[in-house]
Amino acid sequence: MTAASAPIEIAGLRKVFRQTTSGQSITAIDQLSLRIEPGELIAIVGKTGCGKSTLFDLLIGLEHPTAGSITIGGKTPYDDFNAFRGKIATIFQQDRLFPWRSALDNVKLPLELIGIAEDIQHERAMTWLKRLGLEKFANAYPRELSGGMRQRVAIARAFAVQPEILLADESFSALDEVTANELRKTFVELAREFKSTAILITHQLEEAMAVGDRIVVFGKSAALLADVRMADWDRADYALLREAIQNTLQANAPDARLK
Amino acid sequence: MISSLPRETIISIVLFAVAWQIMSYLAPSLGIPAFAIPGLGRIAQSLAKITPLDVAVTLGRVLLSLVVSFVIGLLVAMLMYLSESIEKYLRPMVRILMAVPVVSWILFAVLWFKGVEFRIVFVLVVVCAPVFTVDALDNMREVSRDLKQMIRSFRPTPFQFFHKLMLPAITPGIITSWKITLSLAIRVVTIAELVGAVTGIGHQLSVAQELFSVADVFAWTLVLVVLLFLLEALLVRLETRVLRWRA
Repeated sequence: MTAASAPIEIAGLRKVFRQTTSGQSITAIDQLSLRIEPGELIAIVGKTGCGKSTLFDLLIGLEHPTAGSITIGGKTPYDDFNAFRGKIATIFQQDRLFPWRSALDNVKLPLELIGIAEDIQHERAMTWLKRLGLEKFANAYPRELSGGMRQRVAIARAFAVQPEILLADESFSALDEVTANELRKTFVELAREFKSTAILITHQLEEAMAVGDRIVVFGKSAALLADVRMADWDRADYALLREAIQNTLQANAPDARLK
Repeated sequence: MISSLPRETIISIVLFAVAWQIMSYLAPSLGIPAFAIPGLGRIAQSLAKITPLDVAVTLGRVLLSLVVSFVIGLLVAMLMYLSESIEKYLRPMVRILMAVPVVSWILFAVLWFKGVEFRIVFVLVVVCAPVFTVDALDNMREVSRDLKQMIRSFRPTPFQFFHKLMLPAITPGIITSWKITLSLAIRVVTIAELVGAVTGIGHQLSVAQELFSVADVFAWTLVLVVLLFLLEALLVRLETRVLRWRA
């Protein structure tokens, strides 16, 4: 695994979508600035529709910002799209496995895309399937696997590419609690072991706390409501902040700047 | 092969044959000329005279044309998928091509080209390629947005995008498209061969018509239908094999 070497710098980021039917503009992200250090495990938490997934798409490079920038080592994932081939990997909420490929072939997919030699592809994909406890299911099609097993394959697929940056968008929220906990643990262990910068996007504070070294709370349009290191979470003087974060993440609570 | 047919199918075929035989007995007493409804024995004699070379020639024309149509149709669909502007220009042309009657294409082919083989392949391609284009494009549009986003996050080249995602994803639709165009091609090739060809099933049908031999027409038509069923059965086997991940 390639350890991340450059920070992710988000400066004055703004993303506005224009609705094709009504012509109305929706500001998904408004003036977001954030710095994520190399090797950091950060959880971004916020209510549904707060702009988390838009940030995810911008970080992958599938969307261009309306204003502001995201730079990683002086390059942007959207303008210098191909410069990040093999450096960014993603784990989505749904496994997004190709149903026509076996588990092994799904893990091999990103390796094929970045042009790794075939014998190494096989060896590396098998190593990751073993690591995720799926070696006996290497030749199984996704329909033959349980939801948890499919998500394990998706995790193996992301790690197999040896990314510097790992992005996970609600990756464990569709699973039952036991499986989700187990996979969160695996995700954290692997991200720490390989020193990748990992960003988990979630709407669950418990999940954010279980994964992140640092928790960032988004309000409407990705307004930065709080940015807390987990090491400080239990500090006595943070009691009010903790309570305010929990209240803010409740479904109908209005946004409040917490810090 | 016959044993694999459903009982109802066998019964309906037998019933049709019996009804035909009765009609051929009754035809003269009803004032219908005897040659118009030949008996099964006469048809069997015509079947025994079927020349395999003509069957092979027609089959070759159909398969060659379908492969060419598929390649052209798929490439055009890919271009239309990649560029909205190209799609806007090509879609009306594809629709116009699909609206032109087969007979018009045959006449154009006769007037434009000298070579008989080229005429036949031209007619088949111009009729079948647009079907492949429209089907492939529709199927590409229906590929899951989630899968597209997933593979794009790994930054594939355009070739890899089509090769690793789009083509496997549209394979079920492509096989359905082949089934439709196969049936279309078998019908069109016969008409195309009626004009100018000196080999093939269409030519033999033309000869049978000149000889007023309904038995020969029946026999060659039967060959065409069986040929179509055999090819469809092959496609179904291929489909089962290629799409085993769906089972």
